[in-house]
Formats: sequence, C-alpha cells, structure tokens
Amino acid sequence: MKTINKIILGIGLIGITYSCTDLEEELLGDLTSDFSLEGISTGGSGGGGDALTGVFNAVRNAGTANHGGYFSVQSVSSDEMAITQKGGDWYDGGIWLEMHRHTFTPANGPVTGTWSQQYGSIAEVNNAISNAGLDANQMAQAKVVRAYLHWRLMDLYGNIVIADGSGSSNQSSRSAVFNWVEGELLSALGMGSSFDLSGLSNSSLGTNDVKYRINQYSALGILAKLYLNAGVYTGTERYSDAAAAAGHIIDNGPYSLSDSGISVPNLGKRPAVSSDPDNLVGYAAIFAPNNENNPEIIWSVEYDEATAGGMNFHHMTLHYASQYTWNFEAQPWNGYVALEEFVNSYEAGDDRRKANFIAGPQLDYGGNALVDLASDSPTPEIVYSIGINELEPNGARTGGYRLGKFAFKQFARPNLDNDYPIVRLGDVHLMHAEATARAAGNWALALPEVNAIRARANVSALSSLTAEQFLAERGREMFQEASRRTDLIRFGKWNDSWWEKTNSDAYRTVFPIPSEQLTANSSLSQNTGY
Amino acid sequence: MKLNLLKLSLAFTIAFSGMLSAQQVSGNVSDETGPLPGATVVVQGTTTGVVADFDGNYSISASAGDVLVFSYVGYTAQEITVGNQNTINIVLQSSNELEEVLVTGYGSQQQKEITSAVTSISAEEFNQGAINDASQLLQGKVAGLQIYNRGGDPNAGTVIRLRGLSSLGANISPLVVIDGVVGASLNNVDPSDIESYTVLKDASAAAIYGSRGSSGVIIVTTKSGGVGAAQLTYSGQLSSSSILNQIDTMSPQEFIASGGRDLSSQTDWLDEVTRDAFTQIHNVSATGGNGKTNYRVSANLREAEGILLNSGFDQFNTRLNFSTTALDDRLKIDFNTSFTQRDQKNGFKESMRYATLYNPTAPVYAVDAPYAFNGAQFGGYYETLGLFDSYNPVSIIKQNLNNGERRELNYGINLTYDVSDNITAYFRSARQSSDYANRVYFRTTSLWNSSNDYGGADSPVRKGAAEFYENNSEFQLNELYGSWKKSTDDMNLVVTAGYSYQKENYNEAFFALGDFPGDEIDYIDAIEYSQDLLNAGNVIANSGRNPDTEIDAFFARVNLTWNNNFFLNASIRREGSTRLGADNRYGTFPAISMGADLAPILGLSGVQQLKPRISYGVTGNLPGQVGLSQEIRGWSWGGGGSAGGSTNLLRAANPDLKWEEKTELNFGIDLTMDRLSATLDIYEQTSKDFIINRVVDAAVYGFDRRFENAGQLSSNGFELSVNYDVTDNYNTGIVLSSNKVVLDEYVQDSDKFGNLGAPGQNSTWVTRVKVGEQVGQIWGPVWDGSVTNGSQNFKDVNGDGELVVGQNNALDDNVDFDVLGSGIPDLEIGWSNQITIGDYTINAFFRGAFGHSLVNTFRAFYEPRVGSQKSYNYVNTELANPEIKNANFSSLYVEEADFFKLDNLTISRQVNDNMNLSLNVQNAFVITDYTGSDPEPALFDLLDGNPLAPGIDRRNSYYSARSFTLGINYKF
Repeated sequence: MKTINKIILGIGLIGITYSCTDLEEELLGDLTSDFSLEGISTGGSGGGGDALTGVFNAVRNAGTANHGGYFSVQSVSSDEMAITQKGGDWYDGGIWLEMHRHTFTPANGPVTGTWSQQYGSIAEVNNAISNAGLDANQMAQAKVVRAYLHWRLMDLYGNIVIADGSGSSNQSSRSAVFNWVEGELLSALGMGSSFDLSGLSNSSLGTNDVKYRINQYSALGILAKLYLNAGVYTGTERYSDAAAAAGHIIDNGPYSLSDSGISVPNLGKRPAVSSDPDNLVGYAAIFAPNNENNPEIIWSVEYDEATAGGMNFHHMTLHYASQYTWNFEAQPWNGYVALEEFVNSYEAGDDRRKANFIAGPQLDYGGNALVDLASDSPTPEIVYSIGINELEPNGARTGGYRLGKFAFKQFARPNLDNDYPIVRLGDVHLMHAEATARAAGNWALALPEVNAIRARANVSALSSLTAEQFLAERGREMFQEASRRTDLIRFGKWNDSWWEKTNSDAYRTVFPIPSEQLTANSSLSQNTGY
Repeated sequence: MKLNLLKLSLAFTIAFSGMLSAQQVSGNVSDETGPLPGATVVVQGTTTGVVADFDGNYSISASAGDVLVFSYVGYTAQEITVGNQNTINIVLQSSNELEEVLVTGYGSQQQKEITSAVTSISAEEFNQGAINDASQLLQGKVAGLQIYNRGGDPNAGTVIRLRGLSSLGANISPLVVIDGVVGASLNNVDPSDIESYTVLKDASAAAIYGSRGSSGVIIVTTKSGGVGAAQLTYSGQLSSSSILNQIDTMSPQEFIASGGRDLSSQTDWLDEVTRDAFTQIHNVSATGGNGKTNYRVSANLREAEGILLNSGFDQFNTRLNFSTTALDDRLKIDFNTSFTQRDQKNGFKESMRYATLYNPTAPVYAVDAPYAFNGAQFGGYYETLGLFDSYNPVSIIKQNLNNGERRELNYGINLTYDVSDNITAYFRSARQSSDYANRVYFRTTSLWNSSNDYGGADSPVRKGAAEFYENNSEFQLNELYGSWKKSTDDMNLVVTAGYSYQKENYNEAFFALGDFPGDEIDYIDAIEYSQDLLNAGNVIANSGRNPDTEIDAFFARVNLTWNNNFFLNASIRREGSTRLGADNRYGTFPAISMGADLAPILGLSGVQQLKPRISYGVTGNLPGQVGLSQEIRGWSWGGGGSAGGSTNLLRAANPDLKWEEKTELNFGIDLTMDRLSATLDIYEQTSKDFIINRVVDAAVYGFDRRFENAGQLSSNGFELSVNYDVTDNYNTGIVLSSNKVVLDEYVQDSDKFGNLGAPGQNSTWVTRVKVGEQVGQIWGPVWDGSVTNGSQNFKDVNGDGELVVGQNNALDDNVDFDVLGSGIPDLEIGWSNQITIGDYTINAFFRGAFGHSLVNTFRAFYEPRVGSQKSYNYVNTELANPEIKNANFSSLYVEEADFFKLDNLTISRQVNDNMNLSLNVQNAFVITDYTGSDPEPALFDLLDGNPLAPGIDRRNSYYSARSFTLGINYKF
C-alpha cells in the first residue's frame, strides 16, 4: 500500500505544480510597446541613428511615392494622369475609373487607405514626440512633420480629427485644422501666434541644408503651400503671407535651381544610348536616382532600393515588357498613363516633355523592338502612343505616354533609389510668383520667375501671362509631384470636364470621409454631398 | 453492483485455489449463424488465453472454479465457471447496440445513457479505398459533420467543420482527441489504425472540453491489443488515379477562330502537366497479449502520387499501443506512441492554373517557337514574354522543386488506478511534437516563381531562388482526474472531477535568397553561392516564436441514471488561457442534458429505445493566434543604411479581449427497433463576442485595426440519420443535415469580402455579410442577358430607374446588386448501402450537397473575349457568351453547384478466413451542372481562410481525381 500512496501523492503533486500556472503572456516573436519606446529613445538600437528616424520614415510610409495611397489619389483624380482599364487588367472594381471621373464613394479603397495611412504616420510622429526624448530642434522638426501630414488630410478630406497625441477623436472643421496646422508651423518657426519673419531668430529649427530633415526653409515651404491655398481652406486668402514665406526661402536659403538644360533620361543605360540615369543634368537631375544632393531640393523623402523601399513608379506605369529595356528584376504592371491633352500642353521644344514622359517605340536592352503577343493591334511591337483610345473598358495596352520623371536606372530592383522632393526651389519660385501676382491682382508680376523656369526647359519666355497660362506652366513643371489636384482646385478647374471625365459637383473638391471610419468613430460626420 | 463484486472476488479465490488441478477444456464458439473464428477465451484474472480457430473450436487449460470469459468484437461477452465438464460450447449474442460503450469526454458511457448529440462510427462503417487522410474515413457518414477536400491534391489539408460556422476565429475546426489526448494531430494517425470515432456534436457534450470544444469534438480511438498469440495482419492497396474533371477551354482551332494569336503549335497543356497517378499502401500489424499485458504494433507505408506531375508523398507511420496491469490489477498502465515521417512533393498547383489559360497554339519547347527565341535562357522551354501572368506550365512543374518533410511524434501514458471499489483515479500525460520543413527551388531558367521578390529567368542580373521554411510545434498535456460511482437498485451515479493543464508552443523560420550561378546543381543545397549575399536587401528572412500558450482548467461532471430509463448528465469547466486580455483570462463553461427512454415506460413492442433528450451547454473559443490583446510593432531601418531605425504600429492593444462564448440548445430523439434505428437532432447555437480584427478610429489608435469582441452569430439546423436493414443481406443508411448561420451583430451593418484579384479585379468583392441575414451570400450585379458593345447589361434590381453597379457602391442602399447564391449548402446527404451476396459484399456510398453556389473564377477572368487577352486561352464552357468582351463580375459567373455523386463504391470478397480482396472506386461519377472542376462547397475563402467569404472556386485549385483501388487483407 505504501507504493500506492506514493503514486497518488506523486500524481497529486504534479497536478498541484501545474495548477499554480501564471497565465501572463509575454510575446517572444513580436515587438511590443515596451520595445518601441526604448528603441526610439535610445536613438535606434543597433544602427546608431538619431531619434527622428521614425518621424521621417513615417512620411515615406504615408503613400508618398507608391501605388494606392496619397500619390495616387492626388494624381489620378487630376487631369495629368489616369489608370486606364486595359481589357482584363486594371478594372479593379472601378476604383481608379471613379477616382479619375470624380465619382468616388466613401467606400473607395484608396480614399479609405490614404486616410489610415496618414493617421498611422501621425501616430508614429506622436510616439516620437512623447517618448523619444527629443531635444528642442528635434521636437520642432517632428511637429512640422505632424503638421504637414495634417495638411495632407485637411487638403484631401476637409474636416478631420486633429491627432495631437491627446487621444481625442473629435472632428474639427477645415478652418480649425488650418489654424492648428498654421499654429504648429509658426511655433516651430519661432513666430508666436501670427506670421512674422522676424520671429525666425527664435526658431529651434536650423538653417543648414539637410535634405532628409526639416529646417526653417522646409517649414516655410510647407507654410507657403498652406497660405497659398488658404482661400480654399478657410475662405480667407493669405497670398501676401505665402509670398513672404516663399520669398524668404528664395532670398536666404542655401538653394539654387538645378542648372540649366535637361538630359533625356529614360532610355536606360543601354549600349549606344548616351544618356545615363546616373549622370543627369538640370531639371532631370532633380528626380534622378542619385538626386540626394541636388541643390534645388529643400526637403525630400529618402528612398533606397535596399533599405528604404516604397517608390515603384517603374512598376506602376510601364508595360510588362518594358522590363527588358531597363533589365528590371521584376515585371512592371502597365498601369498609370499620362493624358494626351496634358502631354500636349508642353510645347514641342520643351525639354521637360522628354524628361517627364516615356514615349514611342520601345526597345529592349539589345536594341530590338519589344513585343506584346496579346496586343490588340495587328503588329505586336510596343509603341507608347500619345493618344489613348478609351479610359475603359478596352484601353489600349500601349496607349498613353508613361510616367518617366523619376528616371529608372538600369537593373533597378522592385524599389527605386530616387528621393522624392516635398519642397523644392522650383516649386517655391512658382508659389512665390503666383502668390505675388494674386496678392497684387496682376499676373504679369509672375512673369520673371515663370520665365526663369521656362528658360531652364529650353522654351521661350512669355511676354504676358494669364491665370490659365500660369496653371499650365505649373502643371508642366510639377507633373508627377502630387500637386495637380490641389492646384486645379485653387484655380477652380477641378470640377471641369476633360477627356473622359465630365463636370463634377463642387462638393467633390474634398474626398468623402471613409465609411469605415464613420463606423469606427461616431463623432465623425460625412462631408456635404456624400 | 456489490453483489457482482462479491462474485468477482469469489471467483478470484476459486481461481487461485483451483490452480493445482488444471484440466483441458475445449469446445466451440458460435453465434446464431455459425462459428466465430477468432473469438477469444481467457481464464479470468490470469494471463492464460486462446483464440478460437477457423471452425470456432478452442481448447484451453483451466481448473474447476476458473471463470472462462468468451468474447468477440460486437458480441456480449459471456462468463462461464468451469465445473467438471471438459466441453463448453457457447453461443454468443451480438451485443445490444444500446449497451455499446461510447468513448466520451473523460470517460465512457453506454449508448443508452447518452443525452446529448453524439455519434459513433466504427471501422466497418468507414469509407473504403486508398484513403490517406484519417478524416476522410468519416466523410459523409456523420450528419452535421462537413468534411471537404476540394480537388485531388494528395498533400492538401481536409476541411472539417461541425454544425456550420460558430466562430470567426481560427478555431473553427473540431477539436481532435486521440486516445484521450486533447488537441492531438490527425496527421499522426494512420487511417488503418483507427478503431472508431465518436463525434461530440453539441455544446453540452463538448463543454467538458471547454474552450477548445466550441466547434465540436472528434474523439478517435485507435486499435488496441488483442489476446493470445501474436496475430499478424497485412493489408495492401494499389490505386490508380486520373483527372476527373477540368474546366473547358478552347481548342487551338477554336482559339485561332476567335482571334487568338496563332503561335503555330497545338498543345494540350493540361495533358502535358498531369498523369495517371499510382498509389500503394502497405499496412502490417501484430496484436497479442495475455489478458494482463496486451499490445498492438503496426507499420504503415504509403506512396502516393498526385495527378499533377511531381506531386505526391511517401509516408511511413508506426504505432505501438501497449497496456499492462500492476498492483494486483488495480493499476492499469497504457502506453501509446506513434511516429510519422512524410516526405512530400508539393508540386506547384499554379501549373494547373496556367495550363488552363496558356495559349493552346504555343509550343512547349523553344525549338518549336514560331520566331527566333532564345530557349537556353529558359531551360529549353518556350515562353510568351512580356505578358502579365503568363507562364509555360510545363516549365513550372518540371524545372522547379517544392519538397516538404513532416515528422510527427506522440507518446503518452495513462494510469488508471482503482483506489477502492467505487473510486478510480486517472492520470494522463502526453507529449506531441511536429516538425515541418519545406524547400523550394526555382531554377535560374524558370521564368515563373512564386514571388515578386525573386528574379526570374528573364532578369538579366538576378536569376533563381531558394526558399527555406521550417516550423516546429510542441504540445504537452497533463491531466489528473477521478471518478466515483454509486449504485443502488434504481440509480447509477458517476461523478468525475479533475484538472487539465495544456501547454503548446510554436516557432517558425523562413528565408529566401537567389541569384545563383547556373543550374549545374540544385543550388538550394549550395546557397553559399547566392549573389544575393553580396547585395543588401535581397535576402528575405523572417522568424517567429509563440510564447507558451497555456490552458489551466478544472472540470467536473455528473452522470445519473434513474430506473435505467431516465438519464441526466451535467458538467462544468472553469478555464483560463494566456491568449486573452489581462482582465478576462478565465471563463466558466457549464452544460446540462437529460433524456428518458420511453420505450419501456410506454411498453412499446418491437421498440428497444425511444429516447427524447434535451441538452444545453456553453463552450468558449480561444483566439487562433497569440498576443491579440497586445500592441504589436514593426521595425524599419532608417534608410540609406545610415540612420538607425524606427518602429511602427501593426496592431493596437486591447486588454479587455475576452472569451468568445457559444451557447447551444439541442433537442434530439433516438429510436431503435429491430431493423430500424434513427436519430434526429435539432439545435440552436449562439456565438457571442466573437473576436475579429475590426476597423477602429485611426486618429485615436494610430492604426486602423485591432482585435475586439465585436459580434454575434447564431445558427440552427437539424440532423437526421436513419439505418434500416431492408433484408438480411441489404442494409441502407442515410444521413441528412442542414444548417443556417445568421449574423446577428457586427461592427457595421454590412461588409464585403472575397477579393477576386489580379488581373483587373482587385477591389471586386464577391461576398457580403449583412446583419440579420445569413452568412455566405455571394453578392454582385445581375446580368440581364443582353450585351452592348461587348459589355454585359445589368438589371436595375431595385427598380429605381438608376443603375448603380460600382463595386464601391456594393454596400450602399441604392446599389443594384443582389444575392447571387449561397456559398454554404442548404442540405447535405450521405447514403450508404451494403449488400451481401455470398462471399461478396458491395458497399456503395453516395454523397450530395444541395443549395450552394460557387463563383467560377476561371470563367470570371478568362471567359470574356477580352481583346487584349489574345495570347491567353479562353475558358469556353457551355455558359460562355462570345459577345462579352469585357471582364466584369456578375451573376453570369455564379453557378449553382448542387451535386450528387457515387463517392465510394467497393466490392469485396471474403476469399477464405484469412483473405479478403476488394476493388474500390472513388469519385465514380458526379452529377452536377457546375462547369468548374469540382462542385464541392468552398466553406471559406481558399486564399485567406476567411469563413465569411465562402463559395469562391479560386483559380489555385488542384483538379480532382477519380481513383481505382485494388485491396487485399490477409491474416497470417
């Protein structure tokens, strides 16, 4: 019996041992909140970086230069480009057709995704602001980035939630968001409650040329954008302030226009082709794969094929077979095309036309014609035509010039190396010219700067200027820089008809609040008209 | 009971005292129809036992006063005390079905005592033929148990679901319990080693398993040791399979006539990538024992080919079940172990997909190309370069490798100790480990590979890729429980209570790299030569480890039988888990059920049982993943390799995450008559607080998704099974079931799922859920039958004069969409027939499902005569409309997929006592209007497992097969 008792005792003990289990769950294969705070506050464990890395990664991750997010909604909804439905390809539930035709609904995927993307990035900035132990300069930079992301949201959706880290989910009116964004920028610029350039001496922001970080000039550039569109946002125009902010950058910043002339970038680094995407000049150099030190760039988002992925214009726009021109590692998607009317707004001799578009017959690396066996034309050779037969359903597979501004390098990987400028001097000149002209009610005042920009592109100077001409010039210069939608709205052209788009209602100047978010946050109300 | 025990101890005494005067006792064991070869005769309480021979004759040495126990499977054992006689002839009675003992949770009960929805299936009722997956033995046999294995992939997992959808978590398959081991893997039990299944269908039966029983429980009992000298049995099967059904495409001539691009060859692509596949199965088992110590050991070898080239597996499995007794037979020790080694060739299902849509005039090999083509770069194969999603299917399947290796090991011990006459203590400890490793190699000359992250043969700088994947899971179980029995003249009471501890963990690792020098060898075995190692960012690697997931549970149960015809069962389980939010780790799961046998009360003649019963129970459901209550972050480096890095939120925390809870009410009635038995169950389930990854306010949480308890499902259904002996030689049985699931609450009024995908149909969602309506709706525009300019015209469904058919309007009130079908069948049927003619037995098993539809995605993508698709073949079923030139999802591509099939036909012949031969056909014929390859329901989205998107026949299917199998069973 003793043995038996021992067995029973033993079994009982095993049971008791296990029953005192602590059910705490400590994750082993995932980073949790504990880690994130530590990682940022120590300035990046393992890499020796600075505490702002997360802040600037957040901008890169906010759909800045890839398919489906901020870039796409700003551009495809405008008259510069479209994603045509190419038979069985790119219908995608009609989301891009309705984006282009302004028939988007609150359930539209890109409209929904762009909202979440911006707030996700804002959350990262807020995380750094509260937990990364930022010094005054870093704090000012982080707040400028946060204000910039709110500007995007306010520009797109109008009445949004200000995510200042307080956890409030209340919706603010567009003008309240405008005031908050302005206040944040002014405060970072040392200006107190109203715009006053003399306050810059109090600013924690620096003045040195740091492309991937925020200095006073990048903050002023964002402020200029905000003021230039103030009439749209609040009903109160701020052109003088916009001109002053831009003018200060031009007069004091360590920047110059990327030198004159433009090389033709996009034939690839093929044998017997002289242009080399690694060695571009002038306008084309601003967007080249090695544009990180271009003198015109004030603030850019860093992209890198290996360590900072997220730019894939080559996949977004080129025909599948164009893989063989640049020897890409992966096949492109044959999506985005430039609109004929937009391309035709460039004069024949405008070098920007060559730089911005990929056109005509396409050759492989060895110089042989590329073919498309599934093409609906009788000859299978691929020729990007300026005209596009239709937006849907059977847009030609080779219809439309392709987006070539950000030059592709030979052997490019799925992610490109080109940095994406958010504030650059060329844009600042145009903002300055426009704001000055509008403030004075005289477009002729914009002529000197417009002509300087035109001279670089090898087109003759204009002797007079209308608002319409100015908008066209701005379009030619700023193509593929996610500016067109905002510009069209400011010039009152957004609701016009073009190509396969008919007039759209005035309320379409702001996107609908995503229906998912309306469900998740009962304090949100939908924009008028939707 | 006390009296019996007295008898027993008396018998012991006599047995021991009689040892000195042994004598030879012989005789014959038979039933009403004839001798019972193989019946066992054991001297009770000793190790002495023999087996009756072919004529039922036996001879055993016993002494006066010994008790001889005569037994045979399916018959009631008889005990005879030896007197002076030398001959004892016995006629055994086939055991009463009502007294059949069913294994239930933490114990067993006689069939008549069961008061919840429980079905038992024994080996004779299993599906026959070359069955490699244990669950397929049961397919169609249990009402309410859905077992589907769409297509013919020998390595594909089987989908098992009981009583429809009761959770949205990952835990939607029933819990498997093998020989008492909770959560055991069906992958490690060879189908030929299974003795019986018990399926616990309702919550009251499953509640004793608490959180893991929410989707029902399948209890597997493996074959155990016999008595007597070692009995060696061999069974073997040889099987041949070929493609059953494929989707119709155009012939080369039709293709050219339709404007397809003629590439001057004629190729039947599907024929090029498929084959007649052979399978062989060999099982050897030995059983023996002496009544105290018994064993069964088996070895099972399976070599199965799939109909797709380079797919199939080789598997070796062995199992040992050993039991013995100690401490005067009061302690019983059972030891079980099983091991499986499986080497699988997974092949590439994509090859079948591209075989369906590749240009039928394209040549297989580059030498036959109609224009100059550099075949060397593509391994000698032709490729239509520069097209989206177009790859030579033969190149895919012949050039590349996709091989997996699985190892499973279980071992466990059960101790059963009779503490006293009415108290028994049980201890169980079991371990299970499972390892899977997969190697994929894309040759440098393969244009196709599985990821955009690899370079293909057309990449000038980066070709070839190798993938390594490994996972390992460990599970351990420790349980201690006891039972106490109390019997009086009119009452039987059993109380069981105990503790269960379960711990599991899981880890996995993956990496991929490529850019190899050539194909002289398979560089998967020489990855040090990958150029990716020199180029930052090209090597892909990830790994993960789950923390130990622990479950701590206490349970208790009472079984009460009153007057032998009133039955009450009640149980409760309190359970805690690491997977839930800090504030809600513990849950309590009660159950009660009762029933009464009216047959004796009403004095019905010819009716052995008429038992209405009612049951109610609560079960929980754990989230399928770990850490759902916690915040998760990702890491990204700063860019340029220079500047540190940062984290970003991937999931917001929810410390309030709690148990999903299912309640179920079940009414049933069991009827047993001489020739007829029938069971009917009607049930209602409600699952509340189900856990989903829902959209939250992005501005507040910084991320737009987190896991919340946010919804409720309810379902109801019925199950009927009837078995009838039509004649002495013909038995037929039918099972019927139906189930409807309604979404009661959800985070929003409606939602859409089931994205069709590229090309061109991203953001085309083909299923919808809506609060208050049934789950499983296929949702989209309705084609009115006319075509304008190559596009379908749609109906103005709501008749408001405005046609709203944009996918982004799918959930709007004014949308002209309609429910185009249900992904889930209304009615499922299994119909078994067994006919005996002389030595021959014919088993014909028919199976059908009705009321479900499938989205035929092959048609939706490739049937429209899209102009820019001229170098892809067109799907060309009888439903094709050549005027449609534009791919738009609509009712046209949703087909009713009702089917009725002769699933399994077996003719077997008992050649002699030792040998049985059989011929079997699986998938003999299918009656259906569905134009796709397989009309079996898709219970969830086959791409991402989403249970709210059933009914989509995806393009990644592996076409189904018909098999012919020759089987032999031989006892040595």
